[in-house]
Amino acid sequence: MTPGARYRLLPHTADLRVEVRCADFPGLCAASVETLFSLLTDRRTVRRAARRTFSAAGATREERFHGILRKALLLFALDRFLVRDAGATMELDVVTVTVTGEPADPARHAVYREIKAVTAHGLAVSAGPSGWTGRFVLDV
Amino acid sequence: MQFEDVRLVQLTDTTWEIPETGGMRVPGLVFASGEMMEDIRRDQALRQVMNVAHLPGILSHSIGMPDIHWGYGFPIGGVAAMDPEDGVVSPGGVGYDINCGVRLLRSNIGMAALRARLPVLVAALHREVPAGVGSTGFVRLSPKEMDKVLTEGSRWALPRGYATEEDVAATESGGRLPGADPDSVSDTAKRRGADQLGTLGAGNHFLEIDEVEEILYPEAADAYGLFRGQAVFFLHSGSRGLGYQVCDDHLEAMPSYMLRNGIRVPDRQLACAHVASPEGRGYLSALACAANYAFANRQLLAHQVRETVQRCLRMGPGDAGIRVVYDVGHNNAKFETHEVAGRRREVLVHRKGATRAFPPGHPELQAAYREVGQPVFIPGDMGRGSYVLAGLPGAMRTAFGSTCHGAGRRMSRTAAKQSVRGKSVFEAMEQRGVLVACASRRTLAEEIPEAYKDVDSVVDVVDRAGIARKVARLRPVGVVKG
Repeated sequence: MTPGARYRLLPHTADLRVEVRCADFPGLCAASVETLFSLLTDRRTVRRAARRTFSAAGATREERFHGILRKALLLFALDRFLVRDAGATMELDVVTVTVTGEPADPARHAVYREIKAVTAHGLAVSAGPSGWTGRFVLDV
Repeated sequence: MQFEDVRLVQLTDTTWEIPETGGMRVPGLVFASGEMMEDIRRDQALRQVMNVAHLPGILSHSIGMPDIHWGYGFPIGGVAAMDPEDGVVSPGGVGYDINCGVRLLRSNIGMAALRARLPVLVAALHREVPAGVGSTGFVRLSPKEMDKVLTEGSRWALPRGYATEEDVAATESGGRLPGADPDSVSDTAKRRGADQLGTLGAGNHFLEIDEVEEILYPEAADAYGLFRGQAVFFLHSGSRGLGYQVCDDHLEAMPSYMLRNGIRVPDRQLACAHVASPEGRGYLSALACAANYAFANRQLLAHQVRETVQRCLRMGPGDAGIRVVYDVGHNNAKFETHEVAGRRREVLVHRKGATRAFPPGHPELQAAYREVGQPVFIPGDMGRGSYVLAGLPGAMRTAFGSTCHGAGRRMSRTAAKQSVRGKSVFEAMEQRGVLVACASRRTLAEEIPEAYKDVDSVVDVVDRAGIARKVARLRPVGVVKG
């Protein structure tokens, strides 16, 4: 996990409502990508065999945060790529995330669940004295 | 866990109104018993009924079914009809799994004869019907074939030997929604769906073998070809990754339209565009494509079930008699004719976790069902049972021809898993007389019967409210899950 970051599941009747905390906004984006993949698989079993980079722009932090998570999910949905760890940078209104990982191998990776989408419902990013918090709901 | 205090006015023993407040354009109307309402009030579903009532062009009521629970944008179990001229279409009013739905296959096979072969049959269905994350179907669609699936729906399967004319006729809208232009679907969505046709998926999707336990409306059961002790097959799946991506793509495009047109909604997931706008028409075209993909998907699944059962039980098609009772979706937006304020008119009905339930005499029903009404399938949970219902006139009067779609979750996935920690769900299900085959133990733990409301209570409400009538109760005996 991104240093200093942590996540927890919040109550939700049908889907997965996630809260991630980190010291800064780029770190929050990276940690949220890692969280997304922690909910898909045991990331410790994923090798750092390949690197992928993707970006998201947006007028608000919520838009950038949502854009990054949507693109992260597509790594798996399109190419079955699983993420081991992630790092992020931000320049002006663009967040860029670089991940390491590998394509899913059924012999080594248990994929826990199907995540259909990262929804915009209740998606929030906020800053406080103890750092940044992001909340989002995954449709499963 | 009390999220919201929403003002409710009880109208009858099964209906509740949420009066118009703030920016609501119409009141809310929720079907539920008093006891169920206690559960419903515990999450944000009622607040979501109110949020939907803010949408431009909404007619009559924002409606919640008794299986209502917290969704995103719309609640699951939500219905809203829009004026096609000045109203909006919202992808959040359909959901990610566009045209997710249920198909019921009947058979000539009695459960008494099947019981000894049941373990072999459940294993064979688990092996032959692709289920679970990353599973792929037995057809790989070229771009050209994909476009045909998106425009032809179930009919795509006909010349390829995966469907009969009778299957297609027994599918909602003849297995094909009009207005489907494949160019309205992104390449990303097409890539997500390219190898998933004929796959069940994961989560709450399933293939189930059920025994018809009780006939409650003999005339309708006769029309649907159902009899006591009969083995039937339930399929629950949707438009797979293609549909998820269609929803995601269009949700992303709509906020800029809303900004340009001054539309404000209380939840970003209610992003919308006017039905008649290029954005609205583009989404409806892509939705029709995804709906057609879902019809074709369930058709291929039905083909695989039919072939597997016949092979496993060494029966010919005539002896097995596996035929489609009906196929109906519960996540859709469709143009239909309804009476609004005393005038019959075309409206766009959003159903998100709600089933179309047309009554006897409706012109869209096939001749065999016109006397008794449209079949509606209400899967409960994998332990307690499911129902076959028939649409009633009350559904047209109060719910834009809609009823519930399932039992509805009452327990979070985390809570469900915690409740079975250290216990074998397989053994617990076997003790209930249900054989389970599942790709993921984690999914199975999340789908335990106790995670759902009691389907009997949910169905009682729609029956008493006069929107759908009980036809038969089914008892699960074998379940295949992703």
